[in-house]
Amino acid sequence: MKHFVTTAFVFFYLALTGLNLCADDHSPTEQLQPVLNQLIEVLDDESLKGDALREKRRGKIMAIIASVFDFKEMSRRVLGRTWNEISEKDQQYFVTQFTKLLENVYIGKLESYGGRSYEFVAERIKGKRAQVTTLIPYEESKIPVHYIMQRELDKWMVYDINIEGVSLVRNYMEQFRTILSKEQYDGLIKIIEDKNKSFAEENRRG
Amino acid sequence: MRAVHSIVLLVLLSVLHTASGKADTAVGGIGAEVDPMPVNPYPDLLDDEDGVNAPDLLDEAPLLNEPDQLLGDPIFEDDFTFTEYPPEIYDPLEPLNRAMFVFNDKVYFWVLKPTKNAYSYILPSDIRRSIGNAFSNLAAPIRLLNNVLQGRFEDAGVVLSRFAINSTLGVFGFGDPAYVDFDLEPRSADLGQTLGKWKIGDGFYLCLPFLGPSNVRDTVGFVGDIYMHPVPYFSQNFTFDMTYLVTSRVNLLSISPDVYEELKRISLDPYVAARQGYYDYRRSIIEP
Repeated sequence: MKHFVTTAFVFFYLALTGLNLCADDHSPTEQLQPVLNQLIEVLDDESLKGDALREKRRGKIMAIIASVFDFKEMSRRVLGRTWNEISEKDQQYFVTQFTKLLENVYIGKLESYGGRSYEFVAERIKGKRAQVTTLIPYEESKIPVHYIMQRELDKWMVYDINIEGVSLVRNYMEQFRTILSKEQYDGLIKIIEDKNKSFAEENRRG
Repeated sequence: MRAVHSIVLLVLLSVLHTASGKADTAVGGIGAEVDPMPVNPYPDLLDDEDGVNAPDLLDEAPLLNEPDQLLGDPIFEDDFTFTEYPPEIYDPLEPLNRAMFVFNDKVYFWVLKPTKNAYSYILPSDIRRSIGNAFSNLAAPIRLLNNVLQGRFEDAGVVLSRFAINSTLGVFGFGDPAYVDFDLEPRSADLGQTLGKWKIGDGFYLCLPFLGPSNVRDTVGFVGDIYMHPVPYFSQNFTFDMTYLVTSRVNLLSISPDVYEELKRISLDPYVAARQGYYDYRRSIIEP
């Protein structure tokens, strides 16, 4: 009986979403490009500059980024097995805290980065996953930044950023693994909270 | 007479380089699919991720043992299982390495950073950049030999062209006309990378005093690279060599972004972050 119900649900679900799958068929680059353009617009917006407007600016940036970054998927990958062991409420809370951490790291980096220009140079798709390569000028050279995406129903969503072979998610995953082995989940979430607090303080000081 | 020689050499090298570059594109063109971006020169990051560290949940063969679980949730929301992989990086000396990491942290904040700041205060950045160019130009034999040992003959040609152009037109390597006028970007290579390409394993992780993240293979490589450097070879004076090494490091630090402080700022366990970052970066330049 259980089988029947689940199978029926799958068919029902696919029937509902099936049309959608074909309707909005953008390539990963096409999906990412407008989002990064919007991001640069906000970063360049004179009316949003300065430390006083940080909250407002970051709110806008996060809203834009959330349309193509899958923070839940990142959280799930970064926690590994522990994700399954914590309650749904903890999962939700972890996503908010980890998103906050990435906001501080990634947007802080974007805000301090002067160039504001980038170019799309390559795209690779393998099954449900894709790698979109952008070049960011840094002084005399150009640094390749790879966005790793996966297809979720009708959209390509970013779940990792890779710069010179260094994966953001994998790096945090290894750090979390070390902390989890010593201090379990409760210790980890506290360390992330503290880190976010120290970022908040840093921002307050300017 | 010497000037004529170097000009002839220069022309020859640039012709050789252009020719080999063209040949390469032609080879790449054959059999390339019709695509808006047919040749993707960037490393494939989608390839090795699965099974190494992170199980890919949405792969063709997902890590689901029970068919029930697959059917139970069409978007694999809740029921997926994780396979726990052991940490990839072998770090048997972790307690010692961590102590060394703390030591380096102190060296950085108490000695290196003040020195760098004073140095940057005295010399304007474009002069520091020129000095950096000259240091880098003198280290060209390391890059040349290692590119050859790795079979990267085109890159070795670029190293040679850059050295010829920058030593002459660039006035002893202080300028970089090879990049500015000839569009030749640096092609770095080191012995640790060469050994890695020869399938020699990295042994185990090491955090070296003063030098930071490394491993057994790259430490051997670092020592070997010193033997390829012309300065110790010609000077035969240990104090001079050490001064040279320290000056070049401080200069490099003064023209590089604050990687260490940034790493510390964004990490929850900076030791693990540095270890993983080093490992991943080295792997990316060994197995492109």
